[in-house]
Amino acid sequence: MPHQCTNCDRTFDDGSKEMLSGCPECGGTKFQFRPDGFDGGSGESGAVDAGPTDDSGGTDPVAESPPEPTDRPGDTVTRTVGNAAATVRDLVGGSASEDATRAKPPQQTAGPASADGRESPADGGDDDIIVAESDPTAAEDTAQADARTQLVEPDEMPGTDGFDPAETDGGESTDQPADDDRSMADDPGRLADTPADVAETAETTTANAATDEPAVDGAGSDAESEQSVADEPDAERSVADEPDAERTDRPELSELRKELNDQFESIRVVEPGQYELNLMELYDREEYIIALQEDGRYSIQVPDTWRQADA
Amino acid sequence: MGLFTELKDSISRAASTLFSEEDPKRIGIYGPPNAGKTTLANRIARDWTGDAVGPESHIPHETRRARRKENVEIERDGKKVTIDIVDTPGVTTKVDYTEFLEHDMEKDDAVRRSREATEGVAEAMHWLREDVDGVIYVLDSTEDPFTQVNTMLIGIIESQDLPVLILANKIDLEESSVQRIRNAFPQHETTELSALEGDNMDEVYDQIAEYFG
Repeated sequence: MPHQCTNCDRTFDDGSKEMLSGCPECGGTKFQFRPDGFDGGSGESGAVDAGPTDDSGGTDPVAESPPEPTDRPGDTVTRTVGNAAATVRDLVGGSASEDATRAKPPQQTAGPASADGRESPADGGDDDIIVAESDPTAAEDTAQADARTQLVEPDEMPGTDGFDPAETDGGESTDQPADDDRSMADDPGRLADTPADVAETAETTTANAATDEPAVDGAGSDAESEQSVADEPDAERSVADEPDAERTDRPELSELRKELNDQFESIRVVEPGQYELNLMELYDREEYIIALQEDGRYSIQVPDTWRQADA
Repeated sequence: MGLFTELKDSISRAASTLFSEEDPKRIGIYGPPNAGKTTLANRIARDWTGDAVGPESHIPHETRRARRKENVEIERDGKKVTIDIVDTPGVTTKVDYTEFLEHDMEKDDAVRRSREATEGVAEAMHWLREDVDGVIYVLDSTEDPFTQVNTMLIGIIESQDLPVLILANKIDLEESSVQRIRNAFPQHETTELSALEGDNMDEVYDQIAEYFG
């Protein structure tokens, strides 16, 4: 069951197109990807959550995890989902990160250690994270990085010692399946969690909290964020507050869905006479497209095995 | 349906040749648009059967349906190699009718050509998945071979473990650079030729016999 509705847990087979227009069961639009053989702990987002907990260490689990775990050879559906996720990331930019942040319950963000934990992945492995991320990364300039560096001084973090990794894990909520469900349920903008997603989340969130940088996402609470850098407890509050300010920036769900549909398409009709082709998808399809129509529909010739199955 | 008839014919033909030395291998001629695939297919077919495969054109996407020439017998060193040649539409990731307008084509015709070309790419990819036993990959040696399409197709062919012969076509043109293609795909042997002029075809046939015989 590679795909699962995060709302009602209905599962969808590999290559299923049913979920493209929402879950037929509950109308939910959030799905998580569960490759065959997924064991719940070592999946695509398995290593990701450890990142925030490793706040004071030099190594960064986020950076060490593969940037695109979905890009496994021979698994095109995985790749497609990965592409879709990347598109969603591109589309929502910083606000996707905010969505993830919003998933964190307020009580979990209350401790200074939370900001601390979120800080370190970006700090420890900037280069790797930049590789993992797409466009939004570019928004982070040296000023932001500096601001973040200021924030992460280990001795500035009163809560570091008492920091509870489990708490942060729950807050990031992209690691274990149960957490996944929760975070995705709160987050309409996300389709599939990947380490890149989380890396972006960590970094952008940190940047928002620590700097007054409109280029990132135009957060309305930037001023407050900057102020809160000096005042640790406030910083936490600011992180928790920001998602609300971001909420209005999120693109329409319909746009996202359209973009996702496009990603799944073998052939995209830009306009009549102009087409973009997904060669890998065309190659992977069992059915064979034999006639295109101007409205983007096409006729296919299905394999005999499908007919037998239907009969 | 033409396709099914063809398939049926193909199966019966295959059955009838069961007792021959070896079934003909189906060799797909692949490559980007305007690389000279049809020119090569016609050259091979004319040289060994006397018939052509399909019309050639300098306007891209002239071939929008895969065309087959079956039972092409190529003789090398007294040995016969029989292959079915499949000339496929040029593979690309974008088809834009405005490209055809530059060739004095009416918009309606250009849009139709574009649509058919897109269907052709889908067909070519489908054939690659299921219906070819080997690939002749034709590249225009005056063009940069480092493209997404070339990389992806060669990658797919390699992943299928299909024998592939890379041809650097259009060496009759001044801007031709065979070395650039060799550099792009060092893991494969590249053979140069001009399908249009018939240059170096002997070596091409040697290679076909060696790779697909």
